[in-house]
Amino acid sequence: MRTRLPAVALIAVAALGLTACSSGAGEDSSTTLTILTPASTVPLDPASSQNLATTSLSLLDRRLTTWKVEEGKDAVVVPDLATTTGTQSDGGRTWTYTLKDGLKFSNGDPVTSEDVKYGIERSFSDQLTGGLSYHKTLLEGGSDYRGPFDGKQLSSIETPDDRTIVFRLNKAFGDWPWIASMPAFTPVLESNGAPATYAKAPITTGPYKVESIKDGTALTLTRNTHWSAKTDSVRTASADRVVFEEGQNQTTVVQNLLTGSGKYADAFGAQYLGAADLSAASRDAQGKQRLATSEAGPIQYLALNTKRGELKDVRVRQALNHAVDRRSYLLASGGSAAGIAATTLITPGIAGRQAYDLYPAGTSGDVTKAQQLLRQAGVSGLKLTMLLQNDSASLAQGQAVQQGLQRIGVAVTLKPEDAESFYVDAAADDKPFDLVLASWQPDFPSANANISPLFDSSQIGGGNYNLSQYDVPEVDRAIAAAQAETDQSAAQADWAAIDRRIMQDAPVVPLIYAKQSFLHGSGVGNFFIPSFPAYPDYMTLTVGK
Amino acid sequence: MIAARFVLGRLAGVLLVLLVVAAATYAIFYLLPADPARLSCGKPCTPENLQRAQQFLGLDAPWWGQLGQYLLGIVAGRTFGTGGGAIDCPAPCFGYSFQLSSTVTDLILQRLPVTASIAVGAAVLWFVSGVAGGTAAALRRGRLADRAIMTVAVAGVSAPAYLVGILGILLFGFALGWLPTGGYVPLTEDPLQWLLHLLLPWAALAFISAAVYARLTRAELLEQLSLDHIRTARAIGLSEPAVVVRHGLRNALIPVVTVFGLDLGLLLGGAVITEKVFSMQGLGSLLITSISSLDLQVVVGITQFSAFLVTAANLVVDLVYGVLDPRTVRR
Repeated sequence: MRTRLPAVALIAVAALGLTACSSGAGEDSSTTLTILTPASTVPLDPASSQNLATTSLSLLDRRLTTWKVEEGKDAVVVPDLATTTGTQSDGGRTWTYTLKDGLKFSNGDPVTSEDVKYGIERSFSDQLTGGLSYHKTLLEGGSDYRGPFDGKQLSSIETPDDRTIVFRLNKAFGDWPWIASMPAFTPVLESNGAPATYAKAPITTGPYKVESIKDGTALTLTRNTHWSAKTDSVRTASADRVVFEEGQNQTTVVQNLLTGSGKYADAFGAQYLGAADLSAASRDAQGKQRLATSEAGPIQYLALNTKRGELKDVRVRQALNHAVDRRSYLLASGGSAAGIAATTLITPGIAGRQAYDLYPAGTSGDVTKAQQLLRQAGVSGLKLTMLLQNDSASLAQGQAVQQGLQRIGVAVTLKPEDAESFYVDAAADDKPFDLVLASWQPDFPSANANISPLFDSSQIGGGNYNLSQYDVPEVDRAIAAAQAETDQSAAQADWAAIDRRIMQDAPVVPLIYAKQSFLHGSGVGNFFIPSFPAYPDYMTLTVGK
Repeated sequence: MIAARFVLGRLAGVLLVLLVVAAATYAIFYLLPADPARLSCGKPCTPENLQRAQQFLGLDAPWWGQLGQYLLGIVAGRTFGTGGGAIDCPAPCFGYSFQLSSTVTDLILQRLPVTASIAVGAAVLWFVSGVAGGTAAALRRGRLADRAIMTVAVAGVSAPAYLVGILGILLFGFALGWLPTGGYVPLTEDPLQWLLHLLLPWAALAFISAAVYARLTRAELLEQLSLDHIRTARAIGLSEPAVVVRHGLRNALIPVVTVFGLDLGLLLGGAVITEKVFSMQGLGSLLITSISSLDLQVVVGITQFSAFLVTAANLVVDLVYGVLDPRTVRR
């Protein structure tokens, strides 16, 4: 070992000289944004993507609509390729869009309504599954359609001319403008659409196109000269090049961004910080300036299995809501930087949310009130099992809940499982446990996406997320009515009422809205984390000033 | 003739091991409570879509049925889907990853240079320094040099790989700024950067593994040097280096080479922790990602490849035995 060290030092010194040279040569006016991601590949096929509208794919692809997020404001849906967010007829069952003038693909071809239709049709094929699929259950005939590769078309998407596209749905759906912002609504040229090859050389419509793909190392994007800022009211496309550095070790990413020299000045981390990295960053003088934290974020909650034992009794579920110790849960999660107490189902940042608290529990629980409810229900010596993920963060959180409930004589047994089996067991048809420690980030910024996946009875079991097995026909009807409402403000009022109505039945205990923190280099501007989606907005951040 | 039969027999053994490993991987995945089809079902997932995904991925068949499909694919190739969107995986098809839109063979070939760069460089480093250290310690048995080398060796054996890696990055990457903090540059693109990016992973792995070799070499060499033929060799007046190297070390290295072959084979199948710490995307990190995303075909492919390397290394070691000690073949 000792003999080898000087050799290492020698080579390293040689390298220092070399890097100094190369950085001098690179001094031109072009800017490069570096995005550091732990993922080993950045998947590029929109048909199988679950990307938020504001992250990776938004640099390459445009959809019919997209999201406009601004610091301190709720996200709103805005036109992207289309001239409006959608014109409804037939009581919300038919939606019509007109494409903007002069839209082009990165190869110069004009974008037509047929390309949008083809892109959506691709997402129905077996080769390209796994993406956000809300449209598949809503489009008429969608359940029997198998994609365009056998020459078949989906007749509920009509293209009367090159710029018009009409969707016929199987029910009225007021949030269709949000659905039209999902990855599958990206136009794809038929000549470019083969499932096996599309992601290797996609022809794009966004401000960037793919320059090179080195899977496991880097994805490099350059400007798409056929993109015009005049047709795009959201993307600012500040950088000339964007490089995704893949497979990055998170600890190294944090250190590099804190040091912040060279390419790391114009860089940010795509993964939110864990508790340890967060405390390291907030103790660092530079780190505080380079840290962006959301005010709120995904809801973490305790699902109560409403079909099982004593939990069938609403008073028992209400008692758990009163008893929960949110302060120690928050401490176990990493303190005030990790979140704020939650009492509603709709998360902050979603338009129409109304704050309320049906089960006042102070900062750390109302034990007396909870015990009173348990007595009324005639329940004592309650024993419950809790399914949770087998990682140190979840275990600490689970123990905080466990200790909180112990104070009212409820004994909770933790049942930790690794991520893969956790999701399968939590979403199974028959659930052999009482409580699940879970978390939910809506797929689009509407209260609908907060509530219907978790509380509609059609979402029980089969891999879906109604973990409480909450099944109340009155609530199902109210959800259906709110989904059909095409007037945004009326729908928002409906959802706020449903939020409260569900919590009267106490099928869950809302715990916290988890904050998410990201680090960026000193050269990155307009970098903020909204409450929803609690991720950086790739479309509007800037580099190089 | 004897040697040919020896090699053929061993090759048959290799094939058998590979078959058993494939069967075991399929069986284990089948028994897991996780359902890979759920991941490709989309969100939200309807029961009909889940069933379609299971059918398409062939997961509705029992594990031996899936294994049969896999084995058939190696001989005859496979096609997933029908019509214009069908995905072809020509023979020998070792599976297709729908999550990564690539054949497993391509994925392995893409990641192998990273892992091979790490493994071969580190192996050379640890073998040379381990054997040299062990020999030096044995020749100065009980003296300061022996104790110093063995102390470093104990530290190396006991140190967790991720800790050594992170400390190396902190010291040489962040504090001194001499070496990159992670990542991989292909040899063909920039040989110097390739070397610079690999120095830390090599040193970290070598520090940990050289220790085992130093201890093993020292023990074996001490035993050899105490045998009668060494005394004879010295008595007939051979020089000390000739005694130690030709008569002592050559015999002492037989068990060391065995361990080396297996270690190298294993490492070529993926240096999981080292790759993760140094942000390198080799076979090890591909395997870990695929396990957590339940990408069965990739998991089977890498496990197979890894098993092949270990068995192949074993075969090579046995052949090298013949050179080091001709009695092993004759027996």
